Amino acid sequence: MKRKYLILILVVLFTAVSCSIQPESEVDTDELTHIRLPMGYIPNVQYAPFYAAVEKGFFEENGIELEFDYSYETDGVALVAANEIQFSLVSGEQVPIARAEGLPIVYVMAWYEKYPIAIVSKTEQNVKEPLDLAGKRVALPGPFGANYVGLRALLGKIGLQESDIILESVGFTQVEVLATDTSEVIVVYSANEPIQLKAQGYDLDVIMVSDYLDLVSNGLITNEITLAEDPELVERFVSAVMKGIQFSVENPEEAFQFCIKFVEGLEEADQEVQYQVLLASQELYQTDPYGYSQPEAWENMQQVLLQMGLMKKEIDLSEAYTNDFSQ
Amino acid sequence: MKDIGAGIRKIGFLVLSVFSGLILWQLFTSFSQIPSFIFPTPTEVWERLILVVKDGTLLKHSLITLQEVVFGLLLGLSAAIIIGYLLAKSRAVERILAPYIVASQSIPIVAIAPLLVIWLGPGIFSKILTSALIVFFPVLVNTVVGLKTVPRELYDLMRSLNASPWQRIYKLEIPAAMPVFLGGLRIGATLSVIGAVVGEFVGADKGLGFLVSVGRGLYDTSLVFVAVFTIVLLSLGLYGSVIFLEHRLLSWQKRNDD
Repeated sequence: MKRKYLILILVVLFTAVSCSIQPESEVDTDELTHIRLPMGYIPNVQYAPFYAAVEKGFFEENGIELEFDYSYETDGVALVAANEIQFSLVSGEQVPIARAEGLPIVYVMAWYEKYPIAIVSKTEQNVKEPLDLAGKRVALPGPFGANYVGLRALLGKIGLQESDIILESVGFTQVEVLATDTSEVIVVYSANEPIQLKAQGYDLDVIMVSDYLDLVSNGLITNEITLAEDPELVERFVSAVMKGIQFSVENPEEAFQFCIKFVEGLEEADQEVQYQVLLASQELYQTDPYGYSQPEAWENMQQVLLQMGLMKKEIDLSEAYTNDFSQ
Repeated sequence: MKDIGAGIRKIGFLVLSVFSGLILWQLFTSFSQIPSFIFPTPTEVWERLILVVKDGTLLKHSLITLQEVVFGLLLGLSAAIIIGYLLAKSRAVERILAPYIVASQSIPIVAIAPLLVIWLGPGIFSKILTSALIVFFPVLVNTVVGLKTVPRELYDLMRSLNASPWQRIYKLEIPAAMPVFLGGLRIGATLSVIGAVVGEFVGADKGLGFLVSVGRGLYDTSLVFVAVFTIVLLSLGLYGSVIFLEHRLLSWQKRNDD
């Protein structure tokens, strides 16, 4: 009987000692703050700054363990607003739309400076400038989201109405409908589809919305609770992301190599084309200073959304974003 | 008189069930303090419903979806009946077509819907075809099963009466296969709505599926609920129509049972 107790005591002691001499790294991992980040799109080389920040250890240095979540953009916004998660990557127009509906989200870091939407057509369509869009069949995923906002903002800027064009909702099949001439013009993300189409041998005209109008673009949001109760977490997170952006700007080839681990099929894909996608997306970045969003871009966005009827009421923009974390 | 009493009791239970559900929903959303953009209260959904009814938005989008569903159902039914008849009657046709038909059913409709937009354009036809494709299989299977279960002796009887092929179809095969066929139609009718809505999710600027997308895009969850409930009502309406059709077309069966 005594022998049994002795074994039991030894087992307990051994377990206790084993726990106390765990490797240092494991103890550190326990102290990391786990953050799930909705990205709004599928794994893609355009997220190179985030992949680089993970691989270079920028998040870990700041005490953060990052998990990528490739769910819908609007789901990410709703979860942040409900304080279920702390951060999400979103397109700029989502912030005023959501705040007008009472969602307490705050934009804390501009990733892109330029609104990333482009109007693309084959050169034979002769759409060299926005006014040439009149009467054209223009395809986009649907009358919502960044594509629609970008198109409507551009039309409004040059004095055209939606009724001046033939709008076609084709889902995310813009490349195919342009290639098959089902539509004459497509509205897409400038860093992706035009590069892919050009690589397939199409001669294209590309009109950038950002050449005509400054609109607040893709960036990072948090919620009012996190901002008020844990600004230090926001600081740590934003700082890690900005280090990733800076790293990928300064070392694009290395950043591209990091993407291979995160983007399935990238190794087998046309590497040159995908690298061009990364370089094109970098042209949109906000770099001077990193993370800063222009007040004028917010004003413009609010006016566009109000004119489009996507916002029911005007909001106080000073509550919608902050430049406190920009560098 | 007994029937009327049973009918009233049935309606009473239905009203009680719906009413209890609404009260539980209201209590849950009020006490849990879930924000309305995550889970709106029934009152908020009701207010949103009134707005979209008044400005005609709901009717406009519902009619579009209904149009897609009706044409999709007609197309899916016609194809399923014709191919089902050929499959039931010819072993050779069955052997040639069956692998394709069965394989086609393992393709998720969400995966093929964007291709239909590319092939047929962004208009109503891609949604009609999505709806027809989803209707096709259950109706086809039930058509084949229904025709194959017609007793051999009845064919012999028709032959002894010197019936023409048309008389055989009209007087024997259609009535005999009807109960099983209508079972397939019940499933097909509800699926047809799902097919049309999936088509609208992929690429559309009108219809109830589009209204759901708009609601999600604008964080207007009450609008999403209104659109979803309308989709459910549309499905229930179609299901009810098939039940009504069953009562009318299979009244002979009931008389025989009596």
